Amino acid sequence: MSSAKAIVSSFVEGAPPGELADVIADIKTLTLSTPSLVKELGPALEKYSEEQFITAKLPGGSQLVVVSAHSSLGDGRYYDVESSSSFAFDHATQKASAVQSYVLEGAQADLVKSTLKALSPYVKEHYPSAAYGVYSIEDDSRIAIVIVANKYSPSNFWNGRWRSLYIFDPSSGALEGSAKVDVHYYEDGNVRLLTKKLVAVSVSSGTGAGIIKEISAGEKKYQEELNRSFTSLSEGAFKGLRRQLPVTRQKIEWDKVASYRLGQDIGGGSSRR
Amino acid sequence: MSADPFDSALDLLRRLNPKHTAEHLNNLITLAPDLTEDLLSSVDQPLAVRRCKQTGRDYLLCDYNRDGDSYRSPWSNQFDPPLDEGGVGGVGAGGSNEGAGEGAVPGERVRKMEIKANEAFDVYRELYYEGGVSSAYFWNLDDGFAGVVLLKKSSPQGGNSQGVWDSIHVFEASERGRTSNYRLTSTVILSLATKGATLGELDLSGNMTRQVDTDLPVESDESHIANIGRLVEDMELKMRNLLQEVYFGKAKDVVGDLRSVGSLSEGQRERETQREIIGSMRR
Repeated sequence: MSSAKAIVSSFVEGAPPGELADVIADIKTLTLSTPSLVKELGPALEKYSEEQFITAKLPGGSQLVVVSAHSSLGDGRYYDVESSSSFAFDHATQKASAVQSYVLEGAQADLVKSTLKALSPYVKEHYPSAAYGVYSIEDDSRIAIVIVANKYSPSNFWNGRWRSLYIFDPSSGALEGSAKVDVHYYEDGNVRLLTKKLVAVSVSSGTGAGIIKEISAGEKKYQEELNRSFTSLSEGAFKGLRRQLPVTRQKIEWDKVASYRLGQDIGGGSSRR
Repeated sequence: MSADPFDSALDLLRRLNPKHTAEHLNNLITLAPDLTEDLLSSVDQPLAVRRCKQTGRDYLLCDYNRDGDSYRSPWSNQFDPPLDEGGVGGVGAGGSNEGAGEGAVPGERVRKMEIKANEAFDVYRELYYEGGVSSAYFWNLDDGFAGVVLLKKSSPQGGNSQGVWDSIHVFEASERGRTSNYRLTSTVILSLATKGATLGELDLSGNMTRQVDTDLPVESDESHIANIGRLVEDMELKMRNLLQEVYFGKAKDVVGDLRSVGSLSEGQRERETQREIIGSMRR
C-alpha cells in the first residue's frame, strides 16, 4: 500500500494541463485531518513544473519563460537566454519573481543563441501561443531545446498542452527527443488524449538553423500522422467496437425482439465471445 | 468552493487519467477510508467477464450482482462461488431490497423480467456489437424495480490498434398504474490505443455519463422490457455520437489549436485576401 505522501504526489504528477490548482484544492479537502501532507508536496510540485515545462511571465515583462530541469540553476532559480535573465519560481503558485540579469557563457553559448534565433520564427509560424527556450546542459557538452504550447478553456471543460524537448549533441550531430500531446476533456465525463513520439535524427550541418529545420520537418510529419490516426481510429477500432446501427440500418423493434432471437439462431449467430 | 471530501474525490477522478481509474480509486480509499463505500458504489470501472459454470455462457461482473466475493450469473441465477447457506448477506427471493453488493436476488416477477431482459439484450448485443458480452441484473424496489444493463466489447488482440468499450446503464422504474417513470444513468467507458513508427504512441481513453428521466406507458411486463430496450438503445446511439465527436473531433481540434500544421502567417494573409475579395464584391 502506498504512503499518503506518495499518493498525493502521484495526484500532482497526474494533474492535466492547466488543472494543477484544482487538483491541489481537492488534495487539501481530502487531507484536512493531516494538513502537513500538503506541505510535503514541494518535491512533487517542482517535478511537475520541470516535466510539464510550466511557463510564467517575468514581472513587468510580457514574454513567457519556461521552467524545466534543463534551465535550472538550483535553489529554485531558472534562466532564460532570450531575456538574458534568471528568476526564482514558486512551484505552488507558478509565479516568477526576483529577476536578475543572466548572461549565458561557455562553449555552447553561440550555438544556443543561433538555435534560438532560428527557433523563434519557427515557433511563431506554427504555435499560436507557445513558449520556448534553448539551454546549455551537461557541462556545456549539449544543448536542450524546449517548446511548450498550452491552450486552456476550462469554461468549455477542455485543456491541452504540446511539449517538445530535443537534446542536440554537437560532437556527434545527434538530435534526440520527443513530442508529447496531452488533451483533457471533462464535461460530464473524463476523456484524455496522451501521445508520445520519440525522435532520433542526425543534423549534419550542426548549425542552429539546421537543427530547427530538422525539428520543423519532423513535427510537421508527426502532426500530419497524428491527424490521420484520429481518422483511422474512428474508422477502425471505434467502428469495430459498436455499430451505429445494426446491419439492417434500422433500430430494433423491441416488441418483436423475441422473434429476432429465433431468426438469429437460424442464422447461426448465437455466438458468444 | 466545495469542501466535501466525497465531491473532491469525484472531482479528482474527473481530472486524473481515466485509463487508470482503478488505481486512483484505490489511492483515494487509502487516503480517505471513510469514502470507500460511497466511492465504490458511484465510480464506474471497466467490467470483468466470468464464465457461468452452469450454462457455459459469459457474464459481466459489477456491484449489482455481487455478494461478498461471489457473483450471480444472469443465465443460471446461481452465485459463483456458491453462497454459504447460513451466511447469505442479501435479502431472499421475494424480498424488497435496494442492495448492490449484498446479494440482491430479485423476486419471482422481477427475475422473470430479468430473464427476458437478458434474452433481449443478447439480441441487441449481437446486432450492435457483433460480439462481446452482455448482462442484465434486476432488483426489487418498493414502488417498482431497478436494474443495470451491461455491455462489453474488446477489439481483437493483435494489430496496431486496441479498443475496449464498456456500457453501464443503471435504471429505476417507478410503476404508476398505466405508466412508469424511468430514470436512466448511462456511462460508457471507451479506451483506445494505437502506435506506429511515424506516430509513436497514442492513447485516447475516457468515460462519459448521461442521464434521462421519462414517463412511458406500460401494458405488461413485456412492455417494461421494450421500454428499457428503447431507452438504452436511444441513449447508446446518442452517446456513441457524442464519443465520436469528443474523441475524434474535439481532441483533434485541440491539437490543431496547440500547433498549426500550416504556416500561421500564410493563413493570416489568406484570410485577409479573402476579406478584401468579399469587400470588393460588395462595392
